Amino acid sequence: MDLTHSLLGAVDFGLLPQQVVNGILLGSIYALIALGYTMVYGVLRLINFAHGEVFMLGAYVSLFVAWGLGFGPGPVSPDQTSNWVNLVIMLVASMGVCAAVGMFIEFFAYRPMRNQPRIASLITAIGVSLLLQYAGALFLPNSPPVPIREEVNPYRANVLDVPLKPKSADLLAQTKQAQVALDEAERTLKDTVAAEGIKSEFDLSPEGKKVRDARNAARTKATVTQNAYDQSGLSLRIPYGQLIMFLTSIGLMLILRHVVMNTAPGRAMRAVSLDYDSASLMGVNVGRIITLTFAIGSALAGAGAMMNATFLGTPLTTFFGMQPGVKAFVAAVLGGIGNIPGAVLGGLLMGIAETLVVWVGYGDYKDAIAFVILILVLLFRPGGLLGSAKVEKV
Amino acid sequence: MSNLNRRSFLSLALGALLAGGLVVGCNSGGGTDNANKGPEAPAGAEGNKATGDTIKVGLVASLNGDLRPWGLDSDKGVKVAVDEINKAGGINGKKIELMVEDSNSSPEQGKSATEKLISQGAVVVLGEVASGITAQMANACTEKGVPIVAIGATRDDITDIGPNVFRVCYQDRLQGPVMAKFAFDELGLRNVALMTDKKQPYSTGLSGSFRAYFEKMGGKIIDEQFYESGQTQFNAQLTNLKAKNPDGIFLSGYFNEVGPIVKQADQVGLKNVKYMGGDGWDSKEILATGGKAIEGSFFCNHYNDKEDRPEVKSFLEKFQAMHGGLPGTTMGALAFDAAAVVIDALKRCPSDDVSSKTLAAALHETDGFRGVSGDITFKGHGGNPPKRALVVELTKDGQVFRKAYEVTDFPDL
Repeated sequence: MDLTHSLLGAVDFGLLPQQVVNGILLGSIYALIALGYTMVYGVLRLINFAHGEVFMLGAYVSLFVAWGLGFGPGPVSPDQTSNWVNLVIMLVASMGVCAAVGMFIEFFAYRPMRNQPRIASLITAIGVSLLLQYAGALFLPNSPPVPIREEVNPYRANVLDVPLKPKSADLLAQTKQAQVALDEAERTLKDTVAAEGIKSEFDLSPEGKKVRDARNAARTKATVTQNAYDQSGLSLRIPYGQLIMFLTSIGLMLILRHVVMNTAPGRAMRAVSLDYDSASLMGVNVGRIITLTFAIGSALAGAGAMMNATFLGTPLTTFFGMQPGVKAFVAAVLGGIGNIPGAVLGGLLMGIAETLVVWVGYGDYKDAIAFVILILVLLFRPGGLLGSAKVEKV
Repeated sequence: MSNLNRRSFLSLALGALLAGGLVVGCNSGGGTDNANKGPEAPAGAEGNKATGDTIKVGLVASLNGDLRPWGLDSDKGVKVAVDEINKAGGINGKKIELMVEDSNSSPEQGKSATEKLISQGAVVVLGEVASGITAQMANACTEKGVPIVAIGATRDDITDIGPNVFRVCYQDRLQGPVMAKFAFDELGLRNVALMTDKKQPYSTGLSGSFRAYFEKMGGKIIDEQFYESGQTQFNAQLTNLKAKNPDGIFLSGYFNEVGPIVKQADQVGLKNVKYMGGDGWDSKEILATGGKAIEGSFFCNHYNDKEDRPEVKSFLEKFQAMHGGLPGTTMGALAFDAAAVVIDALKRCPSDDVSSKTLAAALHETDGFRGVSGDITFKGHGGNPPKRALVVELTKDGQVFRKAYEVTDFPDL
């Protein structure tokens, strides 16, 4: 009991629901990328290290499309407005180009290696990954890193607030009062600055500083009451951007499930995954199925990249795909590489585990703990959570 | 354990290796293996002597790689100063011959570039912007007895490498306290939280120096959350921070992550909170990555082009005339200062004996040189001039100068 107390002493359990939601949001993107790793592994027994770089290229496609739509590198004029159509165009373009890139990589880099020892393809994959990172840096804008401007996202200011437990009406009144008082104090300070004829509030006379202190006090009060109000009840906050990311990811996964389970190419894909040689003997066009697998996996990465770069504001370099790539790969292994539901499960678990580690206050060991979980799972279930443990020769 | 898993771990190790190889950011990081050697020149290192009617000056800049924006500005800034003195007839009739080598943003290439410049007869080497590269260059210079003037290397221990390692920027140990003092005195903040990039020594060091000074002043650091360069989603950390009621957040990392963090903090519902940081924020892109939420934030910088000082105005005019545009980063001004301070010292060298040795001696005598980024005094301070640090505010039109701090404002450092 003591140990639990000291380990979890500073943990705020009121935050747990929100943190689980945060974890699911993070995990859904991991899952989307992990699907590409797992599908390719399923049909080819190849770990496609270049998958993270396909993700990176997808983000650049979104960037260029955003530029083309008028949200260019420079400041965006205030009357330039965006709508959901722009987002769909970016998403479709990113998915399409990524699918093409995926097929291209498969055709030129992996197909010639198909009858070579497995390790040759693996090294080729690493080579393609490095090639795209460093050769990409010669052609793509990356120094300094370029962000997609937030103006392209029409929902940037919207947050979904799901109330679980009502907040105190008293505190709401107080919060509003504090905000009014703060606005008032800001105005007084502005007038004082103007009256003193100085450039900013940081050159004030001692008299003027008192006005500024009053404003600072009002600001602190506004912050404290706002937080008290927020914490008086329980509600889940999900920014629209991240909600769109989540729903789109889920939607794409359902479509994928439909394709794999209910269509002819999907059946062929499962057949190839089950037994490559027999499938080919049964009349499955294995080459075409492999190309299709790369196209679908890469398109999913493209979707993840577009949403990541657009809704989260991350600036792009050609190394943009590296961290998500490694994380998603771990997620795929965790769920059982080669297993499609496993990739989704692994992604969600990774996201939730990482978030909860931060929640309990061990954020500086976040990645270490994620890997410890992976090792533990693999010790007890060598094939991953949903995978089958069979010995394979490299 | 099956082969399947062994291969997975191999792949993981490879992935981690790739991730670790990524070089991010500017002013700090990288290794200084010989940093604790102590400032003593090896015997027999005589440096170079100026012969004929030119004085050879070397510049190492990151013309390619991650630090390219800073490298290009370094190159341009130095050229403005050299061009000016050469047009004025040179120093005692001798013109300056500037030799530029590319470090490609890498410590190893920076070192070999430095060695090349020295073998070609450079009496002094200028550069670099990153502390990791500068450390390697300083080792090479110290070995050969050539003085080096660093442009933007803020890491504290750089100048310990040799007796003739100089810099024209402030040190990291000043940045944290400057922002802590500004937060406490000017913004009236008392409960500040830290966001630290665990992967960058620059960030962990800066968070540490902010924390120490802020607590000394009587403020409270109520929480510290960690993230890593390359991370894109910060909800977990921000949800934790919000519950602690901070009135300010100090983000010591680079702009790549700081922008998205501030944008996402706004979405998590942190309102009326002041965001602050160090010179890792210095870039045009931060306004795009941070969006509206980052406007009204403050950070520490070396110089500001809107500051009302004659040196700044004349520098900007000269820069504009020569390059047809303004410098994109503060490194243009710092590079100009590095070259100008060397030119000033060269003027004080005996006209018949311009060498690494006499130049180093003259540099050590520099007293109150009026640079673009503030006064530079090496006399009595070794290679670390007590430089001023500016606090600038991010507005939608860019960085606006707010307050300047001198080292003397921090007698207890």
